[in-house]
Amino acid sequence: MSDAPYAGAPPAPAIAHPHGGLAARAAAVGSWLTTVDHKRIGILYGVSGFAFFLLGGAEALLIRLQLARPGSAVVDAGTFNALFTMHGTTMVFLAVMPFSAAFFNYLVPLMIGARDVAFPRLNALSFWIFLAGGLLLNASFLAGAPPDAGWFGYANLTSRRFSPGPSIDFWALSLQVLGASSLIAAVNFIVTILNLRAPGMTLMRMPVFVWMTLVVQFLILLAFPPITVGLIFLTFDRFFGTHFYDVAAGGDLHLWQHLFWIFGHPEVYILILPAFGIVSEVLPVFAGKPLFGAPVVIYSGILIGFFGFGVWSHHMFAAGMGPVADAAFSIGTMLIAIPTGVKIFNWLATLWGGAIRATTALHFAAGLIAMFTIGGLSGVMHASPPVDLQQTDSYFVVAHLHYVLIGGSLFGLFAGAYYWWPKITGRLLDERRGRWNFWVLFVAFNLAFFPQHYLGAIGMPRRIYTYRAGAGWEFWNLMSTVGAFGIAAGVVLFAANAVGSLRRGARAPADPWDGRTLEWRTSSPPPPHNFDEVPVVHGRDSFWREKYPGRRAAAPPRPAAAPAHGGGHEQVHLPAPSVWPIALALGLGVAVAGALVHVAVVVLGALLALAAAFRFALEHHDDPAHVDQRGSLGIDHRKVAIWTFIGSECLFFGTLIASYMAYRGRSVVGPYPAEILNIPLTTLSTFDLLMSSLLMVLALAAVQRGDHAQTRLWLAGTALFGLVFLGFQAYEFTHFVAEGLTLQQNLFGSTFFVLTGFHGAHVALGVIWLLSLLVLELRGRLGPRDAMKVEVAGLYWHFVDIVWIVIFTLVYLVP
Amino acid sequence: MSVHGAHGPGGERGHASVRTYITVAVILAIVTALEFGVIYIRQLTPILVPLLLVMSAAKFALVALFFMHLRYDARTLSTLFVGPLVIAAALGISLITMAGAFLVFGR
Repeated sequence: MSDAPYAGAPPAPAIAHPHGGLAARAAAVGSWLTTVDHKRIGILYGVSGFAFFLLGGAEALLIRLQLARPGSAVVDAGTFNALFTMHGTTMVFLAVMPFSAAFFNYLVPLMIGARDVAFPRLNALSFWIFLAGGLLLNASFLAGAPPDAGWFGYANLTSRRFSPGPSIDFWALSLQVLGASSLIAAVNFIVTILNLRAPGMTLMRMPVFVWMTLVVQFLILLAFPPITVGLIFLTFDRFFGTHFYDVAAGGDLHLWQHLFWIFGHPEVYILILPAFGIVSEVLPVFAGKPLFGAPVVIYSGILIGFFGFGVWSHHMFAAGMGPVADAAFSIGTMLIAIPTGVKIFNWLATLWGGAIRATTALHFAAGLIAMFTIGGLSGVMHASPPVDLQQTDSYFVVAHLHYVLIGGSLFGLFAGAYYWWPKITGRLLDERRGRWNFWVLFVAFNLAFFPQHYLGAIGMPRRIYTYRAGAGWEFWNLMSTVGAFGIAAGVVLFAANAVGSLRRGARAPADPWDGRTLEWRTSSPPPPHNFDEVPVVHGRDSFWREKYPGRRAAAPPRPAAAPAHGGGHEQVHLPAPSVWPIALALGLGVAVAGALVHVAVVVLGALLALAAAFRFALEHHDDPAHVDQRGSLGIDHRKVAIWTFIGSECLFFGTLIASYMAYRGRSVVGPYPAEILNIPLTTLSTFDLLMSSLLMVLALAAVQRGDHAQTRLWLAGTALFGLVFLGFQAYEFTHFVAEGLTLQQNLFGSTFFVLTGFHGAHVALGVIWLLSLLVLELRGRLGPRDAMKVEVAGLYWHFVDIVWIVIFTLVYLVP
Repeated sequence: MSVHGAHGPGGERGHASVRTYITVAVILAIVTALEFGVIYIRQLTPILVPLLLVMSAAKFALVALFFMHLRYDARTLSTLFVGPLVIAAALGISLITMAGAFLVFGR
């Protein structure tokens, strides 16, 4: 189910000799395919993200070529729709997010003094699922059906009626795959940051980048489930004929907009907060000063993340929500500017009076401050509904979002690339080329996007594929296109600098910038085990304190290094490579892609995924190094992970239940709930599920005692009660279908079957989990040392139980 | 309420005794029976919805506190659960309210 970070044999050296034979090259490729090293996975995210970034950039250039002149015919209207849809989707999910993930993966364990993430194999799984999702999305080009309904995919433009081909299916299914990758990674990083910190590294001593990573993981954890539900509804509407976004059947198109933007607005912070974290690391190093008001910067990041959940409807002012909703979301949106402004002033105060070293990284960090301020201010303008109504769907919004996502996110990511490149590659980038890179990007970016404010203000709508001459849009569109190609030139400069550095760049020392945080304490690039000895932390900027103990009056003596899990360098155990993450991701990818081909492919992929999942779960089952996985919180990683996952499930079921409640009484045809729900029968099934929870805790108590007979009895009993519950549900569904209530019959049928069906699927998964544990017990492979495995399964089981408590009340009992 | 063991390294205390588990299960069964019963008592109609919500919340809390051990485990785990639960509830209530807001406030 999970794996400890330090178990297994160290991986074999994987660098092929340049003139080595085929076997050596194959071994090198194999070592990357099976790697579970957080640093290699970070590099994989970075490289694949850059490839997708080039693809998304090429799409942007085609868009700008088409708009450079009035009446152009570079592409037709349909292709243009596909280009802006794929450009937005690619840049958000396949470029900026994986760039951030690259930094999370490579740096977070180093910055907190850990040897790897909490679950190295899950980390690999996240990457391979991400890659599967990205390839599936872009396979739509090969199928001749790229998605073309915008990255927001507004209903009912996405319905089968208005988008009859498979294009939206590619989009919806690949986003689900990408969401799964993000959720797995979020759980992993939350556990890593909370539970794998070096001795002495309290939460407030963590680097700001690690803090922003933590905030972003919680945003992913809580923001992705609502869009998952929205996409499930969309997929069911398209594949099974349900009515979630069918106005004629009582559905409400605003439901999609709500679900999308409940995710979509936190997504903006998912994209920008990592850049804020990077800048908060870069500025102090190159200003030679500690970050001004570091705790306030951290609290501001937390507040931005929290407020991010309360402002989604400012994207919907034009949808007509009414004055109360408009006022509430307007106020919330204005409030969010406060912690953002605090950060900007803190960064400026960090630079003020500092011993500035104007490196390329600092150029990009300062560029972010300036450009994001412009994007932030135009964002505050959108917070006013009357102003927003003028700007909605105009190029003003395009300018705003690019100032946030290029001027903010991308400039921050470039700052991070220049700052940490020596650590990652062991070589320095050329600073002169770097500054050219910055200035070309900076000028070209402003040339491309600043005029779009004006174009929007004089009425140019977004998402139009052409325009007539004479509207006054020609010159600034041409300038915008010139700027876009300038951005491409800037990216080429970066690529050239990177290739030059890898080929002949100067060797980087461990600490080329006189850094302040722990990653600079180890060699460049770091060894597989990161640190020879796990460092002990005595304050913020711990490495700087260590290097300059006399600079602060209260600085502690040079800290002693802690032994790495009881030993020094020689005794370090590293996670062993594993083939099962990529096999599991492959199975999942085939199963999802199979939905576009044939049900047999779905089954084949699902079987492969299931088999790989079992092998994944059992790979280290008997390894004693995996028994005790307690971390810095003193709690087992697996227990922190399952509670974190349950937090995400709260949002998943919360959204499903809220959607059911929002649609109550809106069916235009029967059967209606009062005519068909069998409350006495459901009371019995509820009782059955509640009692299964009792058996589950008895099973846990038995395994903790080492009582094998009782363990078998109660595990089997719990699984049996779960099966009985599923039997009740199967009977209920069959009866309803016989009575005329199907998924397609009415809105009640759609919402009821999807809500209770997904709960039933969770129960079924729990039964499989319990039966697996039972098989292990029958084979004598489940003892007291495995109690945590039973406890984790039990927590999942109980959660499924309490979800049913809510469903039973709200769906069946409340009149 | 007796528990096994002392405080663990993460601020965890031992879990509840088997007797406690059975007591909780009996209470859950009784409350479920009451939920079923009250919907047929006409006199309770004015307070039926809040009554059902309170009983449902009580069952939810019992399972979370005892079967899921939140009463005994480290506070960090409670935070990981309660934080998202509150956000889920707030978002859910907002969504339901806004779905009906068009009727209440007009467009």
